[in-house]
Amino acid sequence: MSSVIQSSGEVRSVSASRPRAMVNLKPAIFAMLGIVVIMAGYRIYQQIFAWSAGLDSTDPAFETYWMGLLKGELVLLVLSWAGLWSWLWITRDRNLQALKPREEMRRYFNLVLYIMVYALCVYFTGSFFAEMDASWHQTVVRDTAFTPSHVILFYGTIPLYILFGVGGFLYAMTRLPRFADRISIPHALAVAGPFLILPNLGYNEWGHAFWMMEEFFSAPLHWGFVVLGWSVLALGGLLLQIARHVFETMGRLEQEAAA
Amino acid sequence: MSAQLQENRDSVTLYGRRWSRENADLSRTFDILVVIIMFIAITAAFHLHFQLTVGDWDFWVDWKDRQYWVTATPILLMAFPAALQYVFWEKFRLPIAATVCMLGLTIGIWITRYSGFHTWSYFPFSMVWPATMIAGGLILDAVLLLTGSALITAIVGGMSFGLLFYPANWPLLAPFRLPMEAMNSLVSVGDYIGYAYTRTSTPEYLRFIERGTLRTFGGHSAVVSAFFSGFVCILVYLLWWYIGMAFARVATLPNRMKIFMGLHDRGAEGKDA
Amino acid sequence: MRLTSPVSGLLLGLLAFVAASEVAAHGERNQEPFLRMRTAHFYDVAWSTGKVNVNEDVVIEGKFRLFEDWPANLPEPEVAFLGNGTPGPVFVRTESWLNGQPAIQSVPLKIDRDYAFKTVLKGRIPGDHHVHPMVNVEGAGPLMGPGSWVQVAGRANDFVLPLTTLDGTKIDNLETWGVSSVVGWHSVWIVIAILWLAWWTRRPLLIPRLVAIDEGREKLLISRADLAAGAVLIVLTVSVVVIGFIWAENTYPRTIPLQGGRAVVKPLPRSDAPVEVIVERATYDVPGRSMQIRASVTNQGGRPIQFGEFATSGLRFVNRELPAAMAMVSPTYPKDLLPPSGLKLDDATPLAPGETRSILFDMTDAAWETERLTSLINDPDNRVGGLLFCFDDQGDRVIANVSGPIVPIFKDLVAHQGMTH
Repeated sequence: MSSVIQSSGEVRSVSASRPRAMVNLKPAIFAMLGIVVIMAGYRIYQQIFAWSAGLDSTDPAFETYWMGLLKGELVLLVLSWAGLWSWLWITRDRNLQALKPREEMRRYFNLVLYIMVYALCVYFTGSFFAEMDASWHQTVVRDTAFTPSHVILFYGTIPLYILFGVGGFLYAMTRLPRFADRISIPHALAVAGPFLILPNLGYNEWGHAFWMMEEFFSAPLHWGFVVLGWSVLALGGLLLQIARHVFETMGRLEQEAAA
Repeated sequence: MSAQLQENRDSVTLYGRRWSRENADLSRTFDILVVIIMFIAITAAFHLHFQLTVGDWDFWVDWKDRQYWVTATPILLMAFPAALQYVFWEKFRLPIAATVCMLGLTIGIWITRYSGFHTWSYFPFSMVWPATMIAGGLILDAVLLLTGSALITAIVGGMSFGLLFYPANWPLLAPFRLPMEAMNSLVSVGDYIGYAYTRTSTPEYLRFIERGTLRTFGGHSAVVSAFFSGFVCILVYLLWWYIGMAFARVATLPNRMKIFMGLHDRGAEGKDA
Repeated sequence: MRLTSPVSGLLLGLLAFVAASEVAAHGERNQEPFLRMRTAHFYDVAWSTGKVNVNEDVVIEGKFRLFEDWPANLPEPEVAFLGNGTPGPVFVRTESWLNGQPAIQSVPLKIDRDYAFKTVLKGRIPGDHHVHPMVNVEGAGPLMGPGSWVQVAGRANDFVLPLTTLDGTKIDNLETWGVSSVVGWHSVWIVIAILWLAWWTRRPLLIPRLVAIDEGREKLLISRADLAAGAVLIVLTVSVVVIGFIWAENTYPRTIPLQGGRAVVKPLPRSDAPVEVIVERATYDVPGRSMQIRASVTNQGGRPIQFGEFATSGLRFVNRELPAAMAMVSPTYPKDLLPPSGLKLDDATPLAPGETRSILFDMTDAAWETERLTSLINDPDNRVGGLLFCFDDQGDRVIANVSGPIVPIFKDLVAHQGMTH
């Protein structure tokens, strides 16, 4: 997404500043296609190796295919988090006061696109692989916390949405004056709530170890996920905030064009 | 529509305000992107909520009973539609939130029933088909549009939401309630499907279903359940309307990280939105 | 209705690849030893065949005893269900019986009593599947018996499950029954929802409407046509629900609710010639992979007895010097559950009626490790349990409970580390 950082003082003619120029969809589209490819890869991997190597955690094949994948994911998690977040921080705009409305508008759309990529990752976690987890547990006998559905759901897809959720948050804080001045509570909630699903795994695994031996998805030991999932509703507050900022920026765009 | 939108060469009038062409185009692009985001995000979060609360009642044909399924499903479904109706109606006058929720949920569910339960775990669709929930969402949106009132939507829409769930699903469910004999016992076709297709870790007794009534008026368990569900839906709607209001509040705090950001304008006081 | 598409074609192709490759057992080895040694002890288990085609039956029969020394952290089996430990519905269960009674519903069972079971499974998904008998106990979860590989050959698409209901409806295949109707009704509602959303989303949506409300022009946001559309939507929605309901009532006039009653099954009668076993000391030699139980055994029956087998967690340590015991071993019993060294005794002379004698039972085999039963030293409750099969001089069998604390013996540090990791 290097194109998102351009000099703030750029001036263009009105005819050249149609939304197509203001909104750069390409990085987001590539990111989303990449995510779909990764998710399809995960799904195919499950189809091949869950039944053949994932039923018995004492089996050497389990160690190869599932613990191996888990270790790979953990490495990728650390690298991707550290990479994107530090890049966003290091390349931050230190001269936000001089930001022109045209560039600010472009950045608002980049933020929206960040949130879109985040939402797609949340979809694959909260909807797609989460209910797949139900179909897996109720079919097999639970024998390890790192069962094939968990290796992908908990340690593959959750870190990915955290990457883009926190990434979008940092993007806003380091590139948009309003978000640099003040922390948006709805934005923080919409990122922190789903993030907390990762540590909430502790509650889930504790419950399965000491509390409930049987598999039904509606059980209270899963409600930690539910409550944290509600925080996605804070995107409503964030939408209102961004919409008002964008409208205000539109006003300045018109003034600039008139001048 | 014509009173809402007027166009000329340099500007357009949208809902009584003049917009430059550029801003109108930007606004439309914003619409499209946000609609996509909201649809994906609502599907994700609402489906997560749904699968971990309604969950097994919707997964399995032999859990779709007259008592708990009929009572619990609408009550638990009410959360997101009510919360999002607050945002979309109060801030945008759009009566679409409940329908978006139900449509996204339905699509999300079908994708995982196909990919997970059917293709991965071998269950036939006759066992794992989802209930339909869209009728209730449509009614909630239409009532809110016509009355403009959260209270009336709670009372009329909420009650309808609970009452409509069972009859809307009966054409889907009835074929699975035909009686049959298995091992000298009377069971419904749905019971037999649940018995035949093994859920290794989810045995029969885990079914949270009607095990018999104390006294039911004329045997109408489902009607009693639907009516009770409608009543609770009224209360739950109001609760979630206010939860939606809380989540939609644009609150901010000073950014304490700002001192580390090395801004040239450090010290200048920022203003809130 | 089978949903087919390029995606499902790809996935089914992968499935075929999986079916052709080697598959694993499913997790029974990671169930804690206390679950496997002190809950449901399965014995006399037999599989009718190790290979079936799609649509053909495999019958699993046998008995289980709910152990006397039931773990204190598990609820008692007040509600239980005869399941089958298979990788989900790769087989379809067409019948299951407990002591001759139908086991389609859950039942209360009694501790320290025996039950005979029979399960009929019909091959559905091709592949090599590990098939266990199993009892689910509410609160304790799945308790698995011994597993044997059953190969299902053929094509998954050839599977059918036909039946006829009591009102005479013929169902060609339960897999697809009612599905087209489900898909049809879902489609109707999805189309209505999309039309409603299209009605609204075709106009400028967010910022202009937000601004109109902020600036007090909200009356412009909802037109008379919108209100009319809302009224039409209500009438349409209620009409479709009512029409669907009436259609279903007319098409399926005779329906019943889900059947959720509990069954009652009496346990098998107790043996009238019991053998009492009191464990004096049980040890597990970690590097030697050897379990030794010294027990005081009393023959309370009327005929002399000998000791033929110690069975726990599906493992059968059989006394190879006792023909009556060897006769009980079916040639189809899984070889990995029959340790070759079997059961050894320090004194094999028959125990006379009324006699009490201290006997050392020695069971040495790597199976303790491969089945991970030695991991019981990670449990807070270190007790061993199993069934001792005793045979009198006429070949009649008496089954005694054996349970007591167990002490590990660590002879070297390396072995110790291996145990605790």
